[in-house]
Amino acid sequence: MNAPDRYERFVVPEGTKKVSYERDTKIINAASFTIEREDHTVGNILRMQLHRDPHVLFAGYKLPHPLQYKIIVRIHTTSQSSPMQAYNQAITDLDKELNHLKDVFERDSFRGALAAVYLGCNKETPNILPSPSGYSSI
Amino acid sequence: MDGVVSYQRFPKIKIREVKDEYLKFELRETDASVANALRRVMISEVPTIAIDLVEIEVNSSVLNDEFIAHRLGLIPLTSDRAMSMRFSRDCDACDGDGQCEYCSVEFQLSVRCDQDQTLDVTSQDLISLDPSVVPVDVAARSTSSGFDATENRGIIIVKLRRGQELRLRAIARKGIGKDHAKWSPAATVTFMYEPDIHINEDMMESLSLEDKRNWVESSPTKVFDIDPSTHQVVVVDPEAYTYDEEVIKKAEAMGKPGLVEIYAKDTDFIFTVESTGAIKSSQLVLNAIQVLKQKLDAVRLTEDTEEADEQFGELGAHMRGG
Repeated sequence: MNAPDRYERFVVPEGTKKVSYERDTKIINAASFTIEREDHTVGNILRMQLHRDPHVLFAGYKLPHPLQYKIIVRIHTTSQSSPMQAYNQAITDLDKELNHLKDVFERDSFRGALAAVYLGCNKETPNILPSPSGYSSI
Repeated sequence: MDGVVSYQRFPKIKIREVKDEYLKFELRETDASVANALRRVMISEVPTIAIDLVEIEVNSSVLNDEFIAHRLGLIPLTSDRAMSMRFSRDCDACDGDGQCEYCSVEFQLSVRCDQDQTLDVTSQDLISLDPSVVPVDVAARSTSSGFDATENRGIIIVKLRRGQELRLRAIARKGIGKDHAKWSPAATVTFMYEPDIHINEDMMESLSLEDKRNWVESSPTKVFDIDPSTHQVVVVDPEAYTYDEEVIKKAEAMGKPGLVEIYAKDTDFIFTVESTGAIKSSQLVLNAIQVLKQKLDAVRLTEDTEEADEQFGELGAHMRGG
């Protein structure tokens, strides 16, 4: 009856920003990033990646309420860095890690397919290198 | 930003078993957050195509319209096109009705029973207007791979008796599992931590063969065995270990605490992926990586946010007595 639409969970409403940044008023080099329509998937990888940065003194995220589809990432850094710098760095590093992951996965599935052909152990059609499908539209 | 520093990791992957609908692989040298993000994305954010809108012309079957529409939605459709398709909510080719070729696929179904025997209406009666999007069991039948083609009679939608008829038009659209589970390409996706098992050999040798046998038997799954020639206890299948700690308790009960130590390696994972057939399992993993990359791209700070902060920063410096 009055249930919110299902798409509310992942479509950012018009006029709202995906990420908003708020500096801490009392502590220097501390800030909160509010990310709309994201959850533990992004929150947790960001947090763990931020922990790898030695300039980050604190990094955490919370999902304030299961029906508020947003997460808040809080970062506190040393004076050699800034929350924004750490945040950007974490995303860049994760992106590179995923690129690497894609490469090694493709390489290994290609190797597996070749082995299956040479050994002739697989009577069915071997699962040859899956083609990365085009992802033109967003 | 000093672009030189990087805290990036270089994970490793080893694929153990690939089938169209099943995949087992090792993911090493990363952490649980990445493994879990991949798992979550595979289940709920990799897009597929499923029936979303049903216009019923005639339905004199025993099931009501909504019931049939729901059953149609749950039929997995081949979704290799899904990644390049548009979501109908942000398709501008059609005027918001979500029925154009870029964002939808039309199906037709028309069956009438004119015999005394009960007639099964199945996924094979669904006529697709796009040959690349068909029910997965129909696709499997034409390529005769996967399950046995002679056994395959399609997914039953409804049964009709004499005189009953079902006629409808259905629109399939792109969607994600987060919206509705019918769009999830994954039947199951799990990962386990790889166990690291250390047997204290000196202590083990102090046990009699009988005790060794009892200890090996105490594990509910077959992790350990006794070498028939040397009578040594060996680890035969570390991954069979379910972290039940029965062998540790047994060792303590035998008065031999520390006989075995088992740790979960928190950087190494063993993934099991089962697909519904909508996307090949190996493609599912690749799509998940791509979707996760796009999600990360979307949470990058926009330039206006950064500028606003810089201005605020200068103002702050002034206020602090600059």
